[in-house]
Amino acid sequence: MRKAVILFLVALFAVTGVYAGGASENSDVYKIGFIGPLTGDNANYGIRCSNAARLAIDQINAEGGINGKQLQLIAENSEGTVERALSSYEKLAYTDEVCAIIGPVFTGPALAVAQRCQEDGIVMISPSATHKDVTAQPIANDDGLNYVFRTVPSDALQSDVAAHYFYEVLGYRRLASLYAMNDYSQGLANGMAETFTSLGGEIVASETCMVGDKDFRTQLTQIRAADPEAIYIPNYTVEDAQILEQASQLGITVPFLSSDGFSDPEIYNLAPDFTDGVIYVGPAQATASSILTDFQAAYAAAYNGDAPDSFATNSYDATYIIAAAIERAGSADPKAIRDEVAATKDFEGANGIINFAANGDLVASQGVYEVDGITPVYVGAFQVVDNHIVQVD
Amino acid sequence: MINFFMLILIYSGVYALMAIGQNCITGSTGMLSLCHAGFFCIGSYVTAIMCKMFGISFWLSLPVAALAAGFVGFLIGVPTLRLKGDYLCIATLGLGEIIRNIATNINPVGITSIPRASLFGYQFSSRNKGAFIILIWVFVLIFYILFQQLAHSRLGRAMNAIREDEVAAQSNGINVTKYKISSFVLGAAIGGIAGSFQTAYTLTVSPSSYTFMVSVMVLCTVVLGGMGNAKAVILGAFIIQFISYFQQLTGLTNIIPPQANQMIFGLILVVMMIWRPQGLLGRDKYRYGDPRTFKEKLLAVAKRKGGER
Amino acid sequence: MATLTLYIQYIVNGLTLGAIYSLIALGYTMVYGILKFINFAHGDILMVGAFIGLVVYQALLGTSASPVWMVAAFFIAMIVSMVLCALLGMFIERVAYKPLRNANRLAPLLSAIGVSFILSNGAAWIFGTQSRRFPYPFDNTPITFFGISITPHQILMLVVSISMMLLLAFFVNKTKMGKAMRATSLDQPTSALMGINVNRVISLTFAIGSALAAVGGILAAFDFRVYPSMGTMTGLKAFVAAVIGGIGSIPGAMIGGILLGILEAVGAPLLHIPNGLKDTVAFAVLIIVLLLRPEGILGKNEREKV
Repeated sequence: MRKAVILFLVALFAVTGVYAGGASENSDVYKIGFIGPLTGDNANYGIRCSNAARLAIDQINAEGGINGKQLQLIAENSEGTVERALSSYEKLAYTDEVCAIIGPVFTGPALAVAQRCQEDGIVMISPSATHKDVTAQPIANDDGLNYVFRTVPSDALQSDVAAHYFYEVLGYRRLASLYAMNDYSQGLANGMAETFTSLGGEIVASETCMVGDKDFRTQLTQIRAADPEAIYIPNYTVEDAQILEQASQLGITVPFLSSDGFSDPEIYNLAPDFTDGVIYVGPAQATASSILTDFQAAYAAAYNGDAPDSFATNSYDATYIIAAAIERAGSADPKAIRDEVAATKDFEGANGIINFAANGDLVASQGVYEVDGITPVYVGAFQVVDNHIVQVD
Repeated sequence: MINFFMLILIYSGVYALMAIGQNCITGSTGMLSLCHAGFFCIGSYVTAIMCKMFGISFWLSLPVAALAAGFVGFLIGVPTLRLKGDYLCIATLGLGEIIRNIATNINPVGITSIPRASLFGYQFSSRNKGAFIILIWVFVLIFYILFQQLAHSRLGRAMNAIREDEVAAQSNGINVTKYKISSFVLGAAIGGIAGSFQTAYTLTVSPSSYTFMVSVMVLCTVVLGGMGNAKAVILGAFIIQFISYFQQLTGLTNIIPPQANQMIFGLILVVMMIWRPQGLLGRDKYRYGDPRTFKEKLLAVAKRKGGER
Repeated sequence: MATLTLYIQYIVNGLTLGAIYSLIALGYTMVYGILKFINFAHGDILMVGAFIGLVVYQALLGTSASPVWMVAAFFIAMIVSMVLCALLGMFIERVAYKPLRNANRLAPLLSAIGVSFILSNGAAWIFGTQSRRFPYPFDNTPITFFGISITPHQILMLVVSISMMLLLAFFVNKTKMGKAMRATSLDQPTSALMGINVNRVISLTFAIGSALAAVGGILAAFDFRVYPSMGTMTGLKAFVAAVIGGIGSIPGAMIGGILLGILEAVGAPLLHIPNGLKDTVAFAVLIIVLLLRPEGILGKNEREKV
């Protein structure tokens, strides 16, 4: 048996060695990494983001690449967990030695990877990690420069606009919230509640659930008893779909309010009968620009008519921002690429004009959408100026 | 490639520590516990909290993590160890879930940006993994030796007797409860140390990491290597981690579906149980009278020398 | 008064959740009664049942959407799923558990965990990991009286669970095969000597248990959606229910399931703790029950033979 074990191990190493030999280093390409959940209960977000990044890279390569070199996307599956995201990062950073990383998609993994990117000096642009701490990781590299950016607004901004919109525009005074105990949902729910109460509103019920829960009837019954004017559900689509359906079964008729997680079209597959009238705050849409519609058409053509969500759009923009930075830097040097990403000014992306703040946060206004049946209708872009909400366009 | 292989070595070390702990509970004493993820969680959190919030050195947090996990093991052990076999398995499974559930409800984000550990002014880094690998494998070696010593001590023999036949052990004057709890506390404490090292390397703790799956993986590691054999569970830890990260190691992430690993684990469990329930290396054979502990070995050497003279 | 309505609503919600747990717990209890081991793969058979049901239902539905055909298609899908799951259950028993019948008690348990991994990840491989909606074949508008809402689907779940339990109790207590089952559960070698085909009895037990899981899976699918990991937590909770009720006892599984469902729904509001902690409540109750009455509410106290 001992011999068999040793033989087994030798065989394993041999196989590994063959693959290692096969994966030869190719310096004729610029490697860009992607970290996101490609499997798991909420894989819909990761798959759409990686598809969008791949689409962008294919488009760039079809036009001759950058500086005469092709781009290569190396997508790693984080399975939505911190460990896998970290091992993906280690693979991308130390084995593939990528120029930059798009992702991670979820906040938890993004917090962990952001810290490492800051230390190792590798540019990271997350298309979807909204937690305010993602861009607040300590800068630990020798240059003292920030390497973490995102093309999604911080949830601090989103929840601020949400609270003001609910209070000032929609005129709600009594809200309830039902959120999952994860970094994304809790961050939004707490942020919204804080601003909403500071404006004079009241959160009459704040109920929690766990990611993966399927039965929300107890929480919804409690909320129903508290009699709110509307219910805020800043969760991922799987939970939101359940909540909407079960609320209707409990006879809850008040409107539902949600967050950018709702922009994923998966929701209309899961709960098509219950999405009518939901109002959600998501990224603002670019006006008078054909980039977005071109992207949506190209995405649908490339992926069997699937529609991209707002995070996929962010991922598409992030890829183009990195490509432009590599082009200007003229090399694969991570620091040069960082400097160019940071110097991005008025970048015209599918989501409109993109600028980064000094800490890497996106400078953006927020869009509000109202769902009509199963089609989101864009209401407009909003910003909070002097503690009052202002429609930008 | 080499760098990623080193990462696998680090994770193997962490899992080897956990497996040694699980082996102490399941392999030696024969109690099927499924809450090693819980002990792992407590160890990780203790280190994270001490290093991040109080700025205490990792080295001080290590024994505290072990003590805390051991204490929780004691708290869990005292009431539940009256349960037998499958009931114990279910109760511990429930406790593992409770620990994770409470951790998530306290703070779903977990703790991030934990300062790195250092030793004599040398700071461990994740780019240069060599030092950390040496560190963790030194600890694996220490616990391996400790475990070998323990297995052939009075405590170890009592544990084995309980595993073979609890009633017979009791009738031979072995305090079953006392030894069961000792074994549980010991196993939990080693699990806590593993958690502490995990935090020291990843610098992040997230409550979503300590699922039931982790407990099952640790059990799988012990079964694969061979229950009651410390050498074997270390080998098991390496094989399991190697399979876990095979795609990323070889750059085949987009070719081999991620489900393949888990299916292989499932297959390993079924196949091993049917054809080789004793694990790859089997239980550590011990012929009565063979010298095993340091003291016995020294005595044996002395005796042989004496015989020559 | 308002509080009373509130609590009645919690209990109604919990009852229906509990009905699903009971249905699945029946399968655990039957297998445990006979083989004395936890069939960890039971929850994943539930998932397979839901997927088969969904695929067959969608295939049958095709373009026709007449209400009668929808209900008919649903029942055909359910029967196909039950048959296929029964076969799957028997196959798994033959391959993964039968060779271990005389091994130590840890072996079949670990083998079952292995089977569970293979099933859930195999499904993820084939179907992808996203959730799929199982559309209701009937109108699911809630019925409301005195401020308490209940849906037809919830009523259906309760009715199906209770009738399944009665049917099973009848089968085990009144038929010849049931008698053989009870004999096998008491003493396998002696039953074999008395001319009972033990292998057949065990196969049948797995077939029935798996068919029940398929029903549970499809009923749960309306509410929970269909996804590869749907069996894991649901299965775990159902097992907890079986243990609370007294594993090996058919009415025990029913009572345990309903009790767990109600506890999950009422526990957090009653204790004034966040709902995120409801799993803690469920597992804490399990541990308390195990400590006070390890054989469960309706279980028989078996003394260990020396």
